[in-house]
Amino acid sequence: MVYTPYDFNESVRHRVEYIEERLRDGSPVAGISYDGGVLLLTLRRTQRKIFEIYDRLMFSGLGNGSDLEIIRVGAIDFAHQEGYARSPDDVTIQRVVGFAISPGIKRAFGDVLNAPFVVRALFAEMGKAPEEDLFYTLNYDGEFVSLGWAAAVAGTPEAEEQMVRQLLPEDVDGVPDLHGALRRALRAWTVGRLWTMDAHLEEGGAESLTDERIEAFLREQLEDLQVEAAILDRFTRRERKFRLLKEEEVRPALP
Amino acid sequence: MGEYLSSNRSGDFMALLRARGLWREPEAVAATPAHTPVQEVHGTTVIALKYREGVLNVGDRRATAANAIMYDRAEKILPLDDYTLIAIAGSYARAMEIVRYLQHSFKYYARTQLQEMSLEGKLAEVSRALAGNLSLALQGIGLFIPVVSAYDLERNEGRIFFYDGMGARFESVEFGAAGSGSERIRGVFDYILKTKGPFHEMTLEEALRECLLLLDIAADLDSATAGIEKVLPVARAVTADGILNVSEEQLAEIKQSLMR
Repeated sequence: MVYTPYDFNESVRHRVEYIEERLRDGSPVAGISYDGGVLLLTLRRTQRKIFEIYDRLMFSGLGNGSDLEIIRVGAIDFAHQEGYARSPDDVTIQRVVGFAISPGIKRAFGDVLNAPFVVRALFAEMGKAPEEDLFYTLNYDGEFVSLGWAAAVAGTPEAEEQMVRQLLPEDVDGVPDLHGALRRALRAWTVGRLWTMDAHLEEGGAESLTDERIEAFLREQLEDLQVEAAILDRFTRRERKFRLLKEEEVRPALP
Repeated sequence: MGEYLSSNRSGDFMALLRARGLWREPEAVAATPAHTPVQEVHGTTVIALKYREGVLNVGDRRATAANAIMYDRAEKILPLDDYTLIAIAGSYARAMEIVRYLQHSFKYYARTQLQEMSLEGKLAEVSRALAGNLSLALQGIGLFIPVVSAYDLERNEGRIFFYDGMGARFESVEFGAAGSGSERIRGVFDYILKTKGPFHEMTLEEALRECLLLLDIAADLDSATAGIEKVLPVARAVTADGILNVSEEQLAEIKQSLMR
């Protein structure tokens, strides 16, 4: 059998279809900077989804659980070996995602004889001030994008776009506090989820998403799912900056 | 799959470093003639005392190489994580390397395994690191002695462990100390215990006073110990709420009252 460029294109197309179909139903993840740190938020059933990578790095994503686990441990391995061999200051989101993780994902995606990663991952790095915080989104094909202030991963790129709009509303100025960040992240999660579930939304556009509808949908989702939110705390004196928020810390932001 | 996307998954940081060729095993060097000893920098006196809220560690700031005072701002009390402090005396180079290793080892385990390493596990890791140092220590260099202070969240109390150069671990009831100055003041600890009562019933301020006084006496009796007069010592405590760094102001105040 001869393997032609046509076969390659075709197989890549199939892979993309296969991966995107499986990602569509995933629970989105929202990331946003606030005055006291960085927040990642998602809703989940039972499995934990947001993880500490290094002193100032955390990670979450959607897709295949064991693929996410491989990325998680790979990132932790790299971060710690670099932090030890050089210095914790040399462990940056740019090196972890761009150098350690992305090439392997890209290779797996291009290798048509092996299974690709079914993931969209979101990394967050806390800086000394909100304007120095960084987010990297990493796609199943190894492509990554760097963003400041806020970022999101969801079932489709369109849903991600809608989420970022909710995270960085045009009519609001300034960096939010934790409560404000939680509210924006919850709203963004809901919009991202709605966008992938309701095919009609794309025609009606964002205008058809009223506050009432968003709130009602979030309430509905909260019957089955629970909020998972984690922060990197800018001002803590503890060695560990990463912390999962307790239920009572999230509750005031719920509808 | 990429080099960085495979892992041993045991949470063992040393295994990861070995697999990636990053673990520097101390090498056996050819024996040097007796008249050319290696001049390595040594840290001197460190003290660990229990007090009401946990364990207080105090260390002077001097580092020496033979008769020379190399440095008077050395940090010899270091946090390994939020509930563990290490105080080191002896070879400064090896101690710092191993402290960096231990800090990463504890964090690496917690982050990969999604649970904290147990206190027993942490103590064993310190032993393992010391045992790995043995080939150097046998050549007369690289030997250092740590005192590990931990807050035991299960028992809700501070605990002190001291080691020998090979990695043997012993738990101490009230206090621990290491370094050249500590030998000279061993009896003073017992004197305080017998005349003032157990350290673990003292307040932070009372324990600080005793520590500074002990360092002051050690400096009088041991030329390698700086004491408290020129540069304030470093004082940290490990408590149920994590690591407490005692401020310079508080230390200066206590020093003033002692010098009167």
